[in-house]
Amino acid sequence: MGQTRLRLFGLVAVALMLAAACGGSGGTNPPAKQYKIGLVTDIGGLNDKSFNHLAYVGLQKAITDFNVKGDVKESKTGDDYIPNLTNFASTGYDLVIGVGFLMQEAVGTVSGQFPNIHFAIIDGAGTDAKGNDLQHTNVQSLFFREQDAGAMAGVISGMLEKQGKLKNNKGVISAVGGVSIPPVNHYIAGYKWAATMEDPGIKVLVGYSNDFTDPAKCKGVAQGQIQANSDVVFQVAGGCGLGALQAAGQAGVKSIGVDADQKDADPSVIVSALKKVDVATYTAIKNVVDGKFTSGALTFDIQNGGAGYALDNVTLPADIQAEVTKVQGEIAAGTLTPPADIPA
Amino acid sequence: MAQGTGAMVARPRPPGLPSGPTTIARRVVGGLAMPLGSVVFAFVVGGLIVAVTGGNPFSAYAGLICGGFGIGCTQGENPALQISNTIVFLTPLIATGVAVALPFRAGLFNIGAEGQLLAGSMACTAIGIKFSTLPTPVLLPMVLVGGMVAGALWAGVAGVLKATVGAHEVVTTIMMNYVAQWLLRYLIIGGPLQLAAGTSKSLPIGPGARLATLLPSDNSLIVFGLPASVYRVHTGLFIALVAVAVFAFLLWRTTLGYEIRAVGQSQRAARYAGVSVRRTIIVTMLIAGAFSGLAGAVQIAGVDHNLTDKYFSDTTGFDAIAVALLGLGSAVGIVLAALLFGALHAGGSVMQSDAGISSNLVLVLQALILFSIAANFLGAMRSLIPGLRRPPGAPPPGNPAAALMTEAAAPPPEGTPSK
Repeated sequence: MGQTRLRLFGLVAVALMLAAACGGSGGTNPPAKQYKIGLVTDIGGLNDKSFNHLAYVGLQKAITDFNVKGDVKESKTGDDYIPNLTNFASTGYDLVIGVGFLMQEAVGTVSGQFPNIHFAIIDGAGTDAKGNDLQHTNVQSLFFREQDAGAMAGVISGMLEKQGKLKNNKGVISAVGGVSIPPVNHYIAGYKWAATMEDPGIKVLVGYSNDFTDPAKCKGVAQGQIQANSDVVFQVAGGCGLGALQAAGQAGVKSIGVDADQKDADPSVIVSALKKVDVATYTAIKNVVDGKFTSGALTFDIQNGGAGYALDNVTLPADIQAEVTKVQGEIAAGTLTPPADIPA
Repeated sequence: MAQGTGAMVARPRPPGLPSGPTTIARRVVGGLAMPLGSVVFAFVVGGLIVAVTGGNPFSAYAGLICGGFGIGCTQGENPALQISNTIVFLTPLIATGVAVALPFRAGLFNIGAEGQLLAGSMACTAIGIKFSTLPTPVLLPMVLVGGMVAGALWAGVAGVLKATVGAHEVVTTIMMNYVAQWLLRYLIIGGPLQLAAGTSKSLPIGPGARLATLLPSDNSLIVFGLPASVYRVHTGLFIALVAVAVFAFLLWRTTLGYEIRAVGQSQRAARYAGVSVRRTIIVTMLIAGAFSGLAGAVQIAGVDHNLTDKYFSDTTGFDAIAVALLGLGSAVGIVLAALLFGALHAGGSVMQSDAGISSNLVLVLQALILFSIAANFLGAMRSLIPGLRRPPGAPPPGNPAAALMTEAAAPPPEGTPSK
């Protein structure tokens, strides 16, 4: 049926491209070696305003700085992870980057098939079906100390609540997690730890939506927390969490964005806890170009500029700003260490 | 019988329709023209969209063809790998395509193939984990049949509701999709199938529950220049082809198939002829669900080996609606349409990295194909509205796929294989 037509198209297209290729070769010397970098997004796609977008930003910066060839494959469904990774690996890319822990198993499988290709994965490792790290020597894990970023959000929320500057003012703030997995809980751990440090009497409610995509689910969880007098809702649930930001806006309380700067997502967002996937992606590419690829984990935190915060629709009083800067300096210096597990 | 089917009252066939070899030939040509035309239309309009947005449609389609069929690759893609990816993608589309096409023949619109597929994959995984130590000859049939039963029950709910209280199957099957999706979430996030706290996947099924791949899953064996394990084509392909053959046989060579078609063309006439409409509706949905459930079980047994969060974003059961429509609800048509959609799926990402055109173009093409088929609905209606009826002597209209959903469709020639 369609294929005869398709083949015809193909022949025409190939002929055209050959013609174009012949006409285009101008006789200049090719550059020494152009590294090829492949980026595979997860199902969020490039326009997720979060991980995938930031990874793309990092790739673009690397293309400019190191003259690498950077190509992207967006995954439409989870079925695409393995074909997309395999495709880059089988066509001789120097580094194949998988965005997000959803791709752990796929990276584990494909990195085993192509031991001579470098892989990097954001927020995960190359694992087997049971989630055990296969520790392939061609895989680099790009991890983040999310608790550093969460702590900055926690300092601001804790101080605002302590000073009675918020709506309910009953000493309650909250967090909406997507699923209870390590990257989510790291954020919440830093948040709760820092808020309690600033305001020892504060109560931090933690709820999970069991979802990363459906805003309605997170909205429901957030509304429950706001009814229980929460003044600040910290969303740690990706696209689902946008519903939590909305719920805060509608109830007249404040909210905190996550991963990327979510200033524009809702007017209630006062600060965003940042996970700088662009920095991580750029660093991974730079390492390959410099011949310094290492397997195992590479961790990004406040100290190396891979985690942080962005102030959004708010101007902080001078004393709070001073405290935030002080805590940031202490975390960077290592004198303060936010915990990875949510404190009791 | 409830009157929820009021829109599907019987219409008499226009009198004086000629029949004979010429008509059949015309119908075959007309039947091919519609899907081919839809695909060509989609590719032309898609090409225009690419050109208007500053891309090169020729390099876009070259990328699609390379990705889908391994032909004319410019960036060193391995043709065998691309073809194997296409086959992996098309396998579940065949069985779910059947699960949509069969109810169409009975005048039912099964939008629940996705939920039935999930039910099948959940049952397959649960059985494959629970009895993981059993050997293949015992466990593999268990997981496949388990998946079929689960899918059948999932669709059967809609069938029973339709037959007893007249609840519209479009609504009930959509709702059952949600039930399946949330049940899946529960099972692998905090539920009994969860691998470990903090994960969103299940344990892998036992080795005895897995379908063999055509090539050994070996990283050191080099086939066509790549490790053999990258070619993921599995024996589920043959199961899908058997399923589609069973569908054709059932529909055209059995009493039940005759009853299904009779109910689809006119419930009143079928009832008058002694066919139990209620029973036929329920049985049709049960069988359709079994096909979808089989697709889900084969996907677990052949490709994934465990339930993961990727099933949250699975769209196979929805793509199947397009496959069934484009394939005109016939066995051969479904296989060809599944091949096209599988190739589009596999080709999208190659097009994106080679030609720099967003793989969303694939979704645009799929939508355009569907749009074009739906637009032909008007062609079918035209012959039924008196003012627009073709003049006497004009050739009869073809067999537009969309009209399969209506009882107004002209019946396909009796007794001929569903070519």
